[in-house]
Amino acid sequence: MTFLVLAHFVVALCAAPLVRRAGPRAFIVLALPPAAALLWALCQWGTVTGGGASSEAWTWIEAYDVDAAFRLDALALVMVLLAAGIGALVLLYCGSYFAPGTRQLGAFGGNLLAFAGAMLGLVLADDLMILYLFWELTTVLSFLLIGYDSEKRGSRRSALQALTVTMVGGLAMFVGFLMLGHAAGTYRISRILESPPAADATLSAALVLILVGALAKSAVWPLSMWLPNAMAAPTPVSAYLHAAAMVKAGVYLVARLAPAFADVAPWRPVLLILGTATMLLGGWRALRLNDLKLVLAYGTVSQLGFLIVLAGDGTYNTGLAAVTMILGHALFKAPLFLVTGIVDHAAGTRDLRRLSGVGRTLPWVAVVAVVAGASMVALVPLLGFVAKEAAFEALWHGTVAERWVLALIVVGSALTTAYTLRFLWGAFARKPGVADSAVHRVGPLFLAPPALLALASLLLGPGIGWAAPLFEAYAAQYTLPAHPYHLALWHGFGPALGLSALAWAGGAVLFAGRDTVARLGRRVAWPKADEAFGRTVLGVERMALQVTGAVQKGSLPAYVATVLGVMLAGLLAVLLTDRPWHGAPAPRAWDTPWQAAVAALTCACALMCLVVQRRMKAAVLAGLTGYGTALLYVVQGAPDLALTQFGVETVSTVVLVLVLRRLPVHFGETLRSWRRVASLLLALASSLVVACAVWIAAAARTADAAGAAMTEETAHHGLKDVVATILVDFRAWDTMGESAVLAVAVLGVTSLLYVHRRQGPAPGTPPALPGGVTAWSLATPAIEVPPKYRQTAPERSWLTAGDTLAPEHRSVVFEVIARLVFHPILMLSVYLLLCAENLPGGGFVGGLVAGVALMIRYLAGGRHELDAAAPLHPGFFTGLGLALSTGIALIGLVDGTVLHAWTWHGRLPLIGDWHMGTAVLFDLGVYLLVLGGVLDIVRALGSKIDQQTERRAGLALAREGER
Amino acid sequence: MTVSLTLLICAVVLTAVGAVLLHTRSLTRVLMGVIVCGNGVNLLVLATTGRAGAPPLLYPGVAHARVTDPLPQAIVLTAVVITLATTAFVLAMVYRSSQLTGTDFVQDDVEDRRVVLRAEIAEERAELRERHRGEGPRAWRDERREQRRRLRADRAFQARARDAPGDLWDDILGADPPQSPSPARQENDPR
Amino acid sequence: MNALVPLPVVLPLTACGLSMFIGPRLRVLHRLIGIGVLAAVLAVDLVLLVGADRDGPLVVHLGDFAPPLGVTLVADRLAALMLTVSGAVTLIVLIYALGQDMVDREERAPIAVFHPAYLVLVSGVSLTFLAGDLVTLYVGFEIMLMASFVLLTLGGTEPRLRAGSTYVVVSLVSSLVFLAGIAVAYAACGTANFAQLAVRLSDVPLGVRTLIEALLLTVFGVKAAVFPVAAWLPDSYPTAPAPVTAVFAGLLTKVGVYSILRAETLLFPGNRLSTLLMAIAFASLLIGILGAVAQTDLKRLLSFTLVSHIGFMLYGLALGSRGGIGGAIVYTAHHITVQTTLFLAAGLLERRYGSTDLTRLGGAARTAPLLAALWFVPAMNLAGIPPLSGFLGKLGLMQAGAADGGVDTYVLLAACAVASLLTLYVMVKVWNLAFWRATPSQLPLEGTVLEDTDDTDDTDDTADADGTADAGQVRSVGAVAVAPASACVRTTVRVPYVMIGATVAAVLLGLSYTVLATPLAGLADRSAAELLARTPYVEAVLGP
Repeated sequence: MTFLVLAHFVVALCAAPLVRRAGPRAFIVLALPPAAALLWALCQWGTVTGGGASSEAWTWIEAYDVDAAFRLDALALVMVLLAAGIGALVLLYCGSYFAPGTRQLGAFGGNLLAFAGAMLGLVLADDLMILYLFWELTTVLSFLLIGYDSEKRGSRRSALQALTVTMVGGLAMFVGFLMLGHAAGTYRISRILESPPAADATLSAALVLILVGALAKSAVWPLSMWLPNAMAAPTPVSAYLHAAAMVKAGVYLVARLAPAFADVAPWRPVLLILGTATMLLGGWRALRLNDLKLVLAYGTVSQLGFLIVLAGDGTYNTGLAAVTMILGHALFKAPLFLVTGIVDHAAGTRDLRRLSGVGRTLPWVAVVAVVAGASMVALVPLLGFVAKEAAFEALWHGTVAERWVLALIVVGSALTTAYTLRFLWGAFARKPGVADSAVHRVGPLFLAPPALLALASLLLGPGIGWAAPLFEAYAAQYTLPAHPYHLALWHGFGPALGLSALAWAGGAVLFAGRDTVARLGRRVAWPKADEAFGRTVLGVERMALQVTGAVQKGSLPAYVATVLGVMLAGLLAVLLTDRPWHGAPAPRAWDTPWQAAVAALTCACALMCLVVQRRMKAAVLAGLTGYGTALLYVVQGAPDLALTQFGVETVSTVVLVLVLRRLPVHFGETLRSWRRVASLLLALASSLVVACAVWIAAAARTADAAGAAMTEETAHHGLKDVVATILVDFRAWDTMGESAVLAVAVLGVTSLLYVHRRQGPAPGTPPALPGGVTAWSLATPAIEVPPKYRQTAPERSWLTAGDTLAPEHRSVVFEVIARLVFHPILMLSVYLLLCAENLPGGGFVGGLVAGVALMIRYLAGGRHELDAAAPLHPGFFTGLGLALSTGIALIGLVDGTVLHAWTWHGRLPLIGDWHMGTAVLFDLGVYLLVLGGVLDIVRALGSKIDQQTERRAGLALAREGER
Repeated sequence: MTVSLTLLICAVVLTAVGAVLLHTRSLTRVLMGVIVCGNGVNLLVLATTGRAGAPPLLYPGVAHARVTDPLPQAIVLTAVVITLATTAFVLAMVYRSSQLTGTDFVQDDVEDRRVVLRAEIAEERAELRERHRGEGPRAWRDERREQRRRLRADRAFQARARDAPGDLWDDILGADPPQSPSPARQENDPR
Repeated sequence: MNALVPLPVVLPLTACGLSMFIGPRLRVLHRLIGIGVLAAVLAVDLVLLVGADRDGPLVVHLGDFAPPLGVTLVADRLAALMLTVSGAVTLIVLIYALGQDMVDREERAPIAVFHPAYLVLVSGVSLTFLAGDLVTLYVGFEIMLMASFVLLTLGGTEPRLRAGSTYVVVSLVSSLVFLAGIAVAYAACGTANFAQLAVRLSDVPLGVRTLIEALLLTVFGVKAAVFPVAAWLPDSYPTAPAPVTAVFAGLLTKVGVYSILRAETLLFPGNRLSTLLMAIAFASLLIGILGAVAQTDLKRLLSFTLVSHIGFMLYGLALGSRGGIGGAIVYTAHHITVQTTLFLAAGLLERRYGSTDLTRLGGAARTAPLLAALWFVPAMNLAGIPPLSGFLGKLGLMQAGAADGGVDTYVLLAACAVASLLTLYVMVKVWNLAFWRATPSQLPLEGTVLEDTDDTDDTDDTADADGTADAGQVRSVGAVAVAPASACVRTTVRVPYVMIGATVAAVLLGLSYTVLATPLAGLADRSAAELLARTPYVEAVLGP
């Protein structure tokens, strides 16, 4: 079975090339898999009619208890006959329906065949989840099929509607399946049916959800609007999906579950009421339509209601009637659709007001349609009659409710008769006042599929005895009543036949008064569910706009405030509910008075940051808070930290100044006062709460700090600087990580500054040139500056700036001092690198110091001086450093772990005792990286900015010169 | 373990100032905010060392018990380095942004503003329709025209050449090319 | 085996170092390094996955310093699974990016940017999965963030800078909060190591523990982009180059989800905030998907679905049961793949038609059927159509929800269903607009311009580089043309086969989850059990 289902999909994948090569004839090949499935199913006839079933199961998701389980029993066999048999015929029919060279035909054929496969899987599935799987597959594939004519907006709308409506049901059903599976302890359908879970509220809810899915799929009111709209699809699709196969899925599911659940609370009332309503409403609507396909579509809706009633009633007799009717309906509705397609194809229209006399020109087509229509109105001796007879009989002997339903169904049957007559008359009769339609001939291959189906309707009426064991095998799942009904063509005159006669007569009367009925129908038309769908969709769209407009402000300050607000709200909620401050000792005021003094100064600097309007001032103040913080570190007893902070603060202040010289002097931002107050309050509250959290948490500390263990371990190794040891030994990993951060940041700076792509000139005015001259740029306006000139470094001399900087911007003393201190500073940095673990220092600080040395060279001598000092491409040192430190880390792998440290001891002349560890090499990598980082940052934010300014100035000058 | 109130207060002031600077539009200010706030948070981390003590330099004679907890210091060190990296990068962004737009302001997201605008328009349309229910389409044509004008003006203002169509169905299904005026929908309509 | 644990972090870093070191000229070498290293990382990830599943959590104490001294990396089942999925995805995206000539266009830059930054990103993501203590996690986040800053602002165009500012500032704020969280955690427990925290936090008063939890959840929530703090995401992701957006959307938010999972199971067991998480999941699911409904730009729309689908994972976590967490894990793995794939497919569309604006696209199903298939399959996957992987995740989650049976879980089940439905609706909308309707050259364009895209923005080269650019002049690079404001030039380019191949690989990766459903769901289930038991992790780190 799995193989058969899969074969559909495999062949479907090959459909496109096949159709490209062979044209519509390829549909013959495409019809093979369903034909094979049909043959296989027929071979199982004996087993199945004997009450047995053939099944197979593969594990699919073990953890969720989902198996790819398939099972062919009587009901499944009936459905396979529909899905595979009609599927094969419809595919054959497609071969004639489509002209060669139709666009997208290959994709269409593939979709249709895949749909047939999905349908086959659906009816064979013996696992709720597998059933759901194929269920949704049919939904999606039908979406693609309905939207076949995708360039028409109407098609797209119908496809969207069919998809969403059935998907609403599908998802409800999915939840229902999960609940049902949970209650039953398994998803295996056959097991659930054998021992259904006890009825309780959960089960009822699950069943209601499942029914929503089934009813949506089977287009039962109020979810029926999608089916008529789905007629936008090509006719073969309508015949297969919307008459024979897909819409039966809901009925199938109801019939499948009814033996176990028909007695659970809302099952029967829901199905009987909605089914009956659907039957009446659909039939009534069909009476006033003029499009043949739409007449049939509403007829289908009506019949589906009827089927739902029969399948949902859940007794032996109604079950028997239901399964007979399922087959009967497929056998007459599919040929009717196919015939409509032929008429449409031959006459070029399906409007029954414009068709006339087609019956005479296409007599065989008319015969097929009449046979199928006769089965639909349940005339003797067709299968439709047998089925309806069984239905009437079963309901007649039922409860009061069932009899009421029966009365309404008879009315519905009258409507059925009426719209069938309307269809046949509309399609084939010669109408007064309408010219005969011009019709082209129809080949036998085109007509064969509907003819075969109609013939089956005809044969299975008298030959019902042959098919009856199959239907009875299904019905046997219900408890056998005292007088079980036997399917037969003729039961003699009884109430059932009387009711049928009543329906025929009523239908004839309705047909005779068709114009009045149509007028009446239009007058009492109620708001269509279709419009409700439209309004819902638009409502969702509008709501989406409102909600998104409200939530997504697009303003950065708002986002920051949200993050802070969420944090504040969370902490406040915890503080207020748990009151964790109880019993926490009060914090002490200060450690030393120095601490208080430094803190006060730092706070003052910070507060001034809030009010200053000049960028430079703000930068300096921010730097001052940094230095203040460094002093606090010193007071607290953290010299390493302080050293690093000093270095970092220096570098960042210099870089800040370098960049800010190119920006407007003032911030130029004004905030409305209420926002200012609000943000101040938010910021203060968040800070206070976090500080409170630190205080409370510290008060709750009982365990020893990890740091103490590190101190001991450092002492144990005979090293002296604990923090440096942490950085290069214990937590060298984090050091590696942070150096990667630095490396990639440098990369980013370079990427942004050296960018060569831009999307057109900047909107707005470019920043004005500061008089064409800055401290590090052009000498005098008189000098000609070709655009390319500045990119190459001029010839070297000891003081490069002599050639490149304007004399009034040079400070020879500064340059010379910079030259002189350069190497000593580098030496210092190397010393700092090597003394790590014993003194405050280490690769990081060393690298920073070396970077500062380069920075001084730049500040003194301009960018060419910097090029002279470090004539390497950006990223060189950074990359080297990163590669070195991570490489050293990797070497440790030899000994089984990354970052493993080795030390070599030795004795050298001059130096004496010497030891060398991988840790030092690692630190060297960090040193190089930081050095390179600072270098690149200065190069990008210093030199490159200079260069760009110079070029602009040069261009401006050149333009001026032209004028 | 207790913490020093001075440190906490200083941290609160720094973080609060930083946070205020953080929600402004000027990227330079935001950067100052990051630096100041970062210092504040570092102080918070430092506060978890407990009482101030001897530097963790284990020279002979230093009692290990009096040494400050070194781990928070290492954590702060990490944070300091990362702040340096961030500073450099944000500065590059500041520069690049001022190079492109002449300012370092972070503007609101235009797409978001467009959605807000569309929400307003849709709401107004619904309102108009409600007010003029039953009066036929002519009665409120002028108001709709005014609305459209406003919409177009706003569109031009946004200078993105992207429209916010009034018909939501166009956003859902896509409009058909004008040359095929009879969508299948009308065929399906029984009337 | 344990020695392999740090490799997914170290290898890309070394490669990045080399890449920066050799400079921008040797392009082939950059490619070789990038692909080679990421392939090696993927192989290591697979080995780790097998090992972690067989032997329990793989622990490495770096430099042989056991806690409380050193840094510990832990690859348990969850971490290894996340590593493997992200390894596969990052490799695919790198190949895609090569197809897009991300590197070639840096020709004149003095430094290769994309490759090193991308490698660092991969390294950072791996580090967050492996991190065994809060500080390492912080460092991992920072590595990842800094690399993502660089990638997001690649090319330094104005929209990217604006988007980058949003992203950078919000990320920085969350980093500061994270640091504060570390301070509070260290103040309370005197350690940052997860395993030690797990032990010590149980002795800390409940209120203090919840304070730490609130701080950390805020941070991770921002990273994961859950509802109240998600608004930054759709504003920042879509402007980046397609492969960058793809990998961001796939991985970065999942890192947040992973961290939440880790923290909630290991550090804060007992599910105290279950109701709160449910509420957040609910809001994320619905508000996110409504945001997607409101969009008309494909990339932004996808970003909003991203926000929405984070809600699924949170839901599983909020359930707190083995089934729920297992479902969340499966969903996370699925979502990494599918979201990346969708962005890759969107990138193909952008490449082919020069825009991702749905009001301008159309007819792609006819003109580019392969592209249509490459979009449709992952789109249906995202919507959770069976048997695709989205269904697997949803099945696990909703099964656990149905098993839980509380009223709030049913409300969330309904929300999940609605979010699925609207996801499908949104995907169908895209399908309608971009693929089904007639090619929009027939549509009234109202004088719209084809805007700059990734492929066109290297055409202009203004005053800061050499030469001047004249506005309004039509210039073309390859077959792409940039038109002045009055005309509308519509040309298409052939999409490079490498990009298509990478996208196909991504789609296939998604499909493979269907076939591998049993091992995947089983693994997720086992890792959920491991997470809930906590002892395997703690004992593996601290010793029994």
